[in-house]
Amino acid sequence: MRVHKLFRRLRFGVFALFALVVLSIFLLSIRTVSSELETEYVSNSANIARNIADASVDILLNRNLATLQSLIDQFVEIESIRYIYIVSDTGEFLAHTFVPGIPEEILASDPSLTDPVERSLPGLGEFVEVGSPILSGVAGTVHVGMDTEALALKIQRAVGQQIYLLCIILVVGVLALIWIVKATAKPLEELLTYVVELARNGGEVSDDGVLARKDEIGDMARLMRHAAGQGSPPAQWRARVKRPR
Amino acid sequence: MTGCRVGKDEGAVGSRLVTRRSLIRSGLAALAAAPWARPLAAATGPARNRGPNSGPAQEGEIVLGVSAAFSGPSRGLGTELYRGSMAWFHHVNDNGGVNGRRIVLRLTDDGYQPDPCVANTIQLMQDESVFLLFGYVGTPTVTRVLPLLKRFRERQVYLFFPFTGAEPQREPPYGEFAFNLRASYRQETAGLVDNFVRIGRRRVAVFYQNDAYGRSGWAGVREALAAHGETMAGEATYMRGTQFDASMRAQVEILQAQSPDAVICIGAYQACAAFARDAADLGLHVPVANVSFVGSENLLALMREGRADPESHTRFLVNSQVVPSYEDTSLAAVREYHELMERYDPLPPENVERITRGEVYERFPQSFVSLEGFLNAKLITEILARMGDEPDRSRLEEAVFAVRDYDLGVGERVSFGPDRRQGLDQVYYTVPEGDRFVPLDDWESRFAMS
Repeated sequence: MRVHKLFRRLRFGVFALFALVVLSIFLLSIRTVSSELETEYVSNSANIARNIADASVDILLNRNLATLQSLIDQFVEIESIRYIYIVSDTGEFLAHTFVPGIPEEILASDPSLTDPVERSLPGLGEFVEVGSPILSGVAGTVHVGMDTEALALKIQRAVGQQIYLLCIILVVGVLALIWIVKATAKPLEELLTYVVELARNGGEVSDDGVLARKDEIGDMARLMRHAAGQGSPPAQWRARVKRPR
Repeated sequence: MTGCRVGKDEGAVGSRLVTRRSLIRSGLAALAAAPWARPLAAATGPARNRGPNSGPAQEGEIVLGVSAAFSGPSRGLGTELYRGSMAWFHHVNDNGGVNGRRIVLRLTDDGYQPDPCVANTIQLMQDESVFLLFGYVGTPTVTRVLPLLKRFRERQVYLFFPFTGAEPQREPPYGEFAFNLRASYRQETAGLVDNFVRIGRRRVAVFYQNDAYGRSGWAGVREALAAHGETMAGEATYMRGTQFDASMRAQVEILQAQSPDAVICIGAYQACAAFARDAADLGLHVPVANVSFVGSENLLALMREGRADPESHTRFLVNSQVVPSYEDTSLAAVREYHELMERYDPLPPENVERITRGEVYERFPQSFVSLEGFLNAKLITEILARMGDEPDRSRLEEAVFAVRDYDLGVGERVSFGPDRRQGLDQVYYTVPEGDRFVPLDDWESRFAMS
């Protein structure tokens, strides 16, 4: 009979608790990070669209489309912005960043809409698009498309870092638990061996080193020896233990 | 020069200005030290970097600052433009220079990319010995540099004769900081559209580089078509820097679906050659026009390379040019160009071979691009000569405006003025014949609808 059996449930329990903590934090992180990043993404896109719209007014009124293109080319260098297009009030595409051409889905959409929309463009990916009117829409609309795959990647990266840290804590915790269990089980095994030998040999025990211990294991061993009719009980229990008459 | 003038003219406030300027200079220096700023040795000999209060007049040199594409897929343009200019400048320097001063080019390579061009320009503007900016290449680069010229307008650094026909350096708010020699893309595309419409090809599509250059040409085509009551039949784009070995199938298919009667390309030679090749291969047998920036000889060389029957791919090409044919030796400037190109056969800038990893550049004996560079150099020399013994930036604009009905030797006379910052307006049309582009005389017989 091994004492380790006593700790199997404990180990399992602690491990399950750790796993539950990790899972909970993982789910909570995904929810929080994705929600925060999504909000930030849309907000950034809207700000960029607004900036372009503000900067475009004079350029559009001067019909300087090369400068307009140069302007949006600079913005599209920002990480995660995948496309920008500017549509006139009549729906004509005045400048854009699409290669090899403007996707059908965009051509078919209502260019005056400025609310965030999710777009799936074949061959290009998934996007969140926001718009901003130029001169309240009378000069056109700017649309900025943010790559949701890049967003997902950012979320994965942020959550992944947290999970990575938690997993390290979990592994270290489990290893520490095993060590503690082993350390705790060893004197119990000594006690068990002593008691078994005590019972088997009628009080004759070859190795009574456990009796020298100053802790509860030593007390238990001395108590067992006393119960077996040999020696006195541990000092602190002496008052409570009555010798059989 | 400007540093001296500020100190003398503004007296008591001079020190404050100098302090502020020194701060600006420090900032500029930090930017100019960016790793992409790649100065090249000037082929006319190195010019020393002098102190802030010295000027070219004190050193017997006039330094022109250049940022152009000497590497990358468009390096043929920067190199040929430079070679054409150098043919003339060698000639001028060998004959005593301009009023006794040698013309020296301070070269930097931007690889036809805007950010390096901005860094190079800051570096050049920071160098007080650079008298003016000259021979820049490309719209995406030049459009990004124009705000710099405006920001530091007190330095009076002007941009002369950039190799681009875009509108931003011809119109407010930046037009006053640049002088152009060539006709604009608007004029080139209008001419192409007018000719296509005249021969019944009304459905015109556009293939363009997706940047400021492409958009400039796109806008020109759109405007020209609108004048005929037409709209664009279709459009397709490519990324700047696309190489000849890239597939243009997607672009060809987009345009093919619109059944155009003609396609106007606004791009660089590598991508436009790839498009023309794939259009021919995929059965889009309509005229494919290119504007002058394409670099006709580079384009043709790519399309003919390794082909047993190159005409099957090149017979649909028609290129607009902003200089006359270099075959037209009836023109005095073309004769001079032939003679000086042959005499000097200018090499590409030093260090270019290193930048391009040892790839040897095959020089063209003559080309439209080098002829343009030659004419640019000839005109700037005339302007500098008109400034007398003490060239000063503050009198530069005045010297340009003094150019009236000047005979550059190309048939068309050159004039500048406060309301005219472009010297030439003529657009020429050419088609391939063998390994050269020759003038197109009859659009009807070559490209009429069958």
